[in-house]
Amino acid sequence: MTNKPQLPKDTSSQSHQISRRSLLGSVAAGAATASFGNFTIFSRQAHAAEPLRVLCWPGYEEKDVIAEFEDLHKTKVEFKIYIGGEQMLQFFAQTAPGTFDAIISDAEYVQKLKANKAIEAYKTDGFAELANYHPKFRDFAPTKGETAGTVYGIPTRFSFYGISYNTDEMSAEQAQDWNSLLDKKYAGKIGMFDWYLPNLGNASLAVNPGNQTPYAINDDQLKKVKEFLTKLRPQIGMFGSSNQPIAQAMLAGDIFASPTGDLDIDLKLAGYDNFSSTIPKQGGIRWQEVACVCSASKNKDLAMEWVKYMTSPKVQSKLVYTKAFKARGPNMKIVDYWDDDQKKLLSYVPDPANPGKMLVETLIDRSMPRGLPANQPEQAWIDMFNEFKTA
Amino acid sequence: MTTVETSATKPMRTPNDSPLKIWFLAPLAIWLTVFFLLPLIFLLWIGFWRVENFQSVPDFSLGNYADIFASFFSKSRYGLALIQSLWVAITTAFFATILSYMVALSIAFAVPARWQRLALLIAIAPFWSSYVLRLYSWQTILSRNGVINSVLKQFGLADYRIDLIYTQIATRIGLIHYLAPILIVILYVSILAIDRVLIEAARELGCTRWQAFTRVILPLSRFGLMTAASFAIIVSLGDALSGNLLGGGAGTSIIGKLPTYASMIMSDYSSSTNLPRTSALATILIVVMVLALAAGFVAADRARRRTS
Repeated sequence: MTNKPQLPKDTSSQSHQISRRSLLGSVAAGAATASFGNFTIFSRQAHAAEPLRVLCWPGYEEKDVIAEFEDLHKTKVEFKIYIGGEQMLQFFAQTAPGTFDAIISDAEYVQKLKANKAIEAYKTDGFAELANYHPKFRDFAPTKGETAGTVYGIPTRFSFYGISYNTDEMSAEQAQDWNSLLDKKYAGKIGMFDWYLPNLGNASLAVNPGNQTPYAINDDQLKKVKEFLTKLRPQIGMFGSSNQPIAQAMLAGDIFASPTGDLDIDLKLAGYDNFSSTIPKQGGIRWQEVACVCSASKNKDLAMEWVKYMTSPKVQSKLVYTKAFKARGPNMKIVDYWDDDQKKLLSYVPDPANPGKMLVETLIDRSMPRGLPANQPEQAWIDMFNEFKTA
Repeated sequence: MTTVETSATKPMRTPNDSPLKIWFLAPLAIWLTVFFLLPLIFLLWIGFWRVENFQSVPDFSLGNYADIFASFFSKSRYGLALIQSLWVAITTAFFATILSYMVALSIAFAVPARWQRLALLIAIAPFWSSYVLRLYSWQTILSRNGVINSVLKQFGLADYRIDLIYTQIATRIGLIHYLAPILIVILYVSILAIDRVLIEAARELGCTRWQAFTRVILPLSRFGLMTAASFAIIVSLGDALSGNLLGGGAGTSIIGKLPTYASMIMSDYSSSTNLPRTSALATILIVVMVLALAAGFVAADRARRRTS
């Protein structure tokens, strides 16, 4: 059924007026739809075909990643791309319930999506590929459901906020310790990602080494975090609103290191081998994206199939190596689909310091998932970061 | 009754006398209402909302403003960022206006009349390129291993390396590059409006070139200068890109290593699910801008009165 205006069969004067008005109204509505059609997320044709609709970070929409799913299920997957958790929440809030069937969310934003009643828990039964996940991704710590065996999201992609550094200016040993960033020779030569969550999480680990819950700290521990940040402030040369300006600053020699992690991947791919990254011995923050199913979805079965699809090593091997972005996959079988260069670049190679383990496993073991402040209001942490920036 | 008598009792009506003329203002009124007034009211309104369970809830609470002003010079220290913004904006406006005025003067007085349009087009050519691309270009020029320092190194002057990147000087360079084409047009138009006879008269009465400039051209350019400077201050106050990409987010100035206020708004918005608080922060900036605009209007009006 369409919404096209219907001409009336009745030809009386009264009905003519009504129909003319309704016709004009419909035409105006049609014109408005045509004019503002570019601002809507999905086409009418897409609505008719009932595709799967996913709100996600870049990368998931690339053809290499999704084509097999579309062929297998003879469906179309439509993506709305966001950059940043807050934008994700805004997009979700601005659309009618049921618009999206699935969401790729940062793990800590699951809490916010739950508060919005946007997503629902699902059983992990039947997710055979979870057996190949690294154990740290099988505990689902930030996304566990209320009942046993349920989760709000399964990890699909992750990476680290360790130290990225210029190997001509900082040694691998120095990069193993957060306190190296306080060295006077790095004054004004550290670049920082302009977001309180990873930076305060890393600072929390710097002062409470090995803490498995760096975001659940008491006020005394938070005070120590502030002291560490105060010492770190003179070292900061720039704040970057994304990875790109920080990588650019490293390349230009304006900064020597950054607690942003993984900047070396793109720089190495661009032919610069004098960059590396690691997670300091005290621990570092790990970001991870999880696949969630929307509560109001009318296509939940297909959404669940898509989540399953995203857990496969083959799909993850492509997802974490897209044009948009390079990251890491939680399914350890991912290496079966990569060549040696890819394995080396993304640290899926034996770790000489830990026989029997891949380097990425050592880094996963040393890292803790990014979370939200548990014992203080979020604003208190934001205020602390702003105070650090304006110090 | 003669024709003359008729015209005396019924004066001829022009379109300006028609009450319908008010309707010709409708497009402007609709445009301003839809694209300026309503979004502005919405922004102001959200500033009074509150957040519950990470969601914005309509309300009429002064909580956001109370929180912000309570942490104006402590905690988040938005006040310091606002001072940094004002300092950067005022100095940027000063230098951008002087630079643009010199360019506009040279186009108006040194370029032959038939080439002036082309000269103006060339002067505003940077405006047709992307602002962000221009900022990245400046990053390449100003950075430690950038164009300037590479040239200095080539000439054996590596010890004289300049470190402008991630300072508020770099922020100003980006802003001036952005503002100059617009200011040049404003100032060129205001210079063109100066009656050349006055300048010629001054010269014939014995004024030197400098005296003709200081006693005739400059006073008659005051209105344009004030308008251009006000525009530059408002744009500079609201811009976050130059401060982030060239100023490094918290660039050094004589006030200190502080972010600009617009940069803090951006950062706060992307950090938390707190649209009401961000709206309140933006509203404070709008109030400062309106005050700057009002000051500019007063100054421009005084300048016009003095010269009229």
